[in-house]
Amino acid sequence: MNSFQLALRVLRTDGRTRVSAILIAVGVAVATALVLLLVSLPGATETRADRSAWQQYGEPSEDGASLELVASEDVAPDGREIQRVDVAALADPSRIDLPPGIDSLPGPGEALLSPELADAVDHTPGSQLGERFGANAGVLGDDALAYPEQLVALVGHAPEDMPSTAMPQDGFSPAGRGADPMLGLLAGVGVVVLTVPSMALVASSARLIAARRERRLAAFRLAGATPRQVIGMVTAETAIAAAGGALLGWAVSPLLRQAATTVPWDGGTWQASDFVLGAVPTVAIVVVVPLLVVLAAALGLRRVLSAPLGAAGGHTPKPLRWWRLVPLPVSGVLFAYLATTASSQVEATLLLVSMAMVIGSLTLAGPWITAAIGGLFVRRWRRPSALLAGRRLRDDPRGAYRATAGVVLAVFTGSMALTVLPSIEGQAGALREYTDGVLYVNADHGSLQRIAADTNDALARYGQDERAVTIGDAFLGDENALARVVDCDAAEQLLVVDMRGACEGAPGVYTPYPDVSRDELTVSAEFGQPGTSLPAAVPVRPMTTTGELAPEAIVDPAVLPADFTPNTGTVAVTSTPANVDVVRTALVSAAGGLPVQSRQARLDGQVSQLDDLQRVTVIGLLAASVLGGCSAAIAAAGSVLDRRRTFGALMAAGTPVRVLARALRAEAALPALVATVGAGVAGTLVGIGLFTMVDDGAKVLTPWLAAPVVLGIGVALIASSVCTPALRRVQAEPLADE
Amino acid sequence: MPTRPALSGHGLSKRYGTQYALSGVDIDITPGEAMAIVGPSGSGKSTLLHVLAGILPVDDGEVTLGGTRIDSLGETKRSELRRTEFGFVFQSGMLVGELSAEENAALPMLLAGAGRKEAMAEARRWLEHLGLTGKERNRPGELSGGQAQRVAIARALAHRPSVIFADEPTGALDTRTGGETMTALLDAAAGSGAAVVVVTHDRDLAASVPRTVSLRDGRIDADTRAGAVVPA
Ligand SMILES: Nc1ncnc2c1ncn2[C@@H]1O[C@H](COP(=O)(O)OP(=O)(O)OP(=O)(O)O)[C@@H](O)[C@H]1O
Ligand SMILES: [Mg+2]
Repeated sequence: MNSFQLALRVLRTDGRTRVSAILIAVGVAVATALVLLLVSLPGATETRADRSAWQQYGEPSEDGASLELVASEDVAPDGREIQRVDVAALADPSRIDLPPGIDSLPGPGEALLSPELADAVDHTPGSQLGERFGANAGVLGDDALAYPEQLVALVGHAPEDMPSTAMPQDGFSPAGRGADPMLGLLAGVGVVVLTVPSMALVASSARLIAARRERRLAAFRLAGATPRQVIGMVTAETAIAAAGGALLGWAVSPLLRQAATTVPWDGGTWQASDFVLGAVPTVAIVVVVPLLVVLAAALGLRRVLSAPLGAAGGHTPKPLRWWRLVPLPVSGVLFAYLATTASSQVEATLLLVSMAMVIGSLTLAGPWITAAIGGLFVRRWRRPSALLAGRRLRDDPRGAYRATAGVVLAVFTGSMALTVLPSIEGQAGALREYTDGVLYVNADHGSLQRIAADTNDALARYGQDERAVTIGDAFLGDENALARVVDCDAAEQLLVVDMRGACEGAPGVYTPYPDVSRDELTVSAEFGQPGTSLPAAVPVRPMTTTGELAPEAIVDPAVLPADFTPNTGTVAVTSTPANVDVVRTALVSAAGGLPVQSRQARLDGQVSQLDDLQRVTVIGLLAASVLGGCSAAIAAAGSVLDRRRTFGALMAAGTPVRVLARALRAEAALPALVATVGAGVAGTLVGIGLFTMVDDGAKVLTPWLAAPVVLGIGVALIASSVCTPALRRVQAEPLADE
Repeated sequence: MPTRPALSGHGLSKRYGTQYALSGVDIDITPGEAMAIVGPSGSGKSTLLHVLAGILPVDDGEVTLGGTRIDSLGETKRSELRRTEFGFVFQSGMLVGELSAEENAALPMLLAGAGRKEAMAEARRWLEHLGLTGKERNRPGELSGGQAQRVAIARALAHRPSVIFADEPTGALDTRTGGETMTALLDAAAGSGAAVVVVTHDRDLAASVPRTVSLRDGRIDADTRAGAVVPA
């Protein structure tokens, strides 16, 4: 009988081995499915980016340009971002190559809308949304969208109506920006953070039969089997389970993929086909994952084979050496340093390497810390459960740490992320240039008046009282101080300045520097160009600034020399929360593709990216915790079954199941709880530390920080839940020597 | 020393499937008495012990302790009885590997809610009594088989039970150590006034016990007291 047949026979006849094999298979399946998904993430973002490449500027083409294009972002009434592309055909439209999903180029005054945007337009008054785009001339197909619910408008114009900043290019941009590096990084972290708990699950499942297997191995060796034969037998057993698990993982991966399509990232969800992985990487993963498991099983056997026959625990262990602690701070500092400085691709790779080092040193330090915690319990116990838990931690700190390593890792990483993310969010901000509620368009001077006039026509048509104002740019004196050319009242209303009542007097120049020299009062339309002097009679009045991007001076147009015109400027209009969408519609429809900006829109954009990260972190934490809880539970069940004879004897001697179960529950839950809460606290501290290095801004401690602790308690509960059933099983068995 | 209750079984029968492991066994154990149960393998020795101790329910017959029926009690009551009135010694000690000798001896008391200090002091007293001074901190793996059995005896006696049940307590020991362990068990039990019911394969060891009950096919076939044979 070869080792394969022997393994099959054992699996058929021995219940506990079968349970262990099934659990190993499940762990491998979960790991395989997760790795398949995570590895497909960078490709998925690339697929997305390629689909939506046409929405971005392409290569400029001076001679062979077939179209002119302006890409901009707009905001829908519900706050979602609209990707807007304004285009004018320069050649025969039928000769222009169109990207997939776009059937025809919209003519002037027409627009193609994505299905979701078309739906929004249908359900919103035209003045709030629809009139920004023009006549609806069809829909954009899914192949033209980054994600199915993306809001996109492709708006057609005549070439002469395009803003001068439009990009002449030969057709639409064919290739996207490539993979999203952030998601690529997260996928890398995810592979580590989620596969470690899956592997811990595999390891605990293997442990479930370790005691029995050791006895069987001893019997085989006594019967004269060579170590090779023994390794072959156990490896075959594991290989059957692992290979089955990998295939199962491959089989269920479409389901996981389907679930992943619903998780929004960078604005929206996914198409199922985004996550499809090539045949070669798929086969590689399905082969490599179980291979690693089998290798680990074979390596784990070395210990069994080198141990003296029949030696079974019950010895005072040697304490672990303190040097195990050393690499942790070293790699931690390296990681923190790289995290704060990394900017290039190489450094980002180094960052991942240093994170692997942190994890590696955690594997060294973890058992030491586990043993130290165990020692604490052993010294301080009041109840036998604390003593038992402490002794188990101290006797086999490596094994105990291994069982919780997955959760520790995930919770550590997760808490760190959850600390850093909201702190960044607290930082999120857009510098103030205009007062809140102001919408504005930057344009060259030639377009300013026309945009303002069209905007005001629309505003009048919509029955709004607000009116758009043009603000010119000018540079004052040798220092080229930025001045905005606008009258005093409008400046006060639109810009982050306080005119302190100065608007009562005759028009003048307003500046926070009251002792400015008259020689400095020259204006230029172009940065660095020599300026024209202002008349000596122009009054200079004080103002104060109330925002970070306030101009250094306001120049009333009335005091400018008659021949002075600014080159560039802004059309700005105030809005209230009640009419912001109508005002935006008026401005967008007048701007001809130039981006309409506001501080609020910029803030919303930042928050949504942080939401993405937070969501992904919490999903990762949850998955890791469930896996960790399962492996802790299996480990707990295994440890009860390993000591079945002792516990059977204790129950026979009258110890109620309830009392023993309470002790064992505490024994199972304490390490899990201590490990998760400890990892959570450590992660939070490292996160705060990391963040302090980046910026000493306010640290926002959100309720999310409680998540790791809650999950830790969950893991502990899952782990301890199996004690009573396991004991009942032991109790139901006849009291006998095995 | 307080008077201890007597343990009796009448008409005890236990069936596994169609096969009788015990059939109609009558047995009385007076307070403080030591009794050996002998018989060939499969004759029902362990079954009788487990039935008397309330670990196994009977199919027929009754078990009384101090005149009170205990076989009809619920599992909770029976396990309480086992915890307070009985002590157990098994073949291979069945000590908890993570705990030291003294902690193992103290475990039943601790699980029953005794304080750490008192339980440990009581355990140490019994270990000393059983000649284990200096071994209190050793783990089971660091004790010889005989020493481990004496820890198990300390564990069985520490809460001062009325009856000690021992199922082949010397089965895994060599003859000399087995004899010493049996002597330690009988002496310690006598010292605390507990009755002892000990199952053994070893006729020589049984000879050191004042009363010997011999089983065959689930029936008592001899009950020997101080040399005299009393037919069943
Ligand atoms: N759980 C059980 N299920 C089925 N039959 C059992 C069970 N336990 C015991 N038996 C049977 O009951 C009979 C008595 O068993 P018992 O264990 O009492 O014997 P014993 O005298 O203790 O034997 P040994 O000296 O080998 O320990 C045997 O025939 C045995 O096969
Ligand atoms: Mg027996």
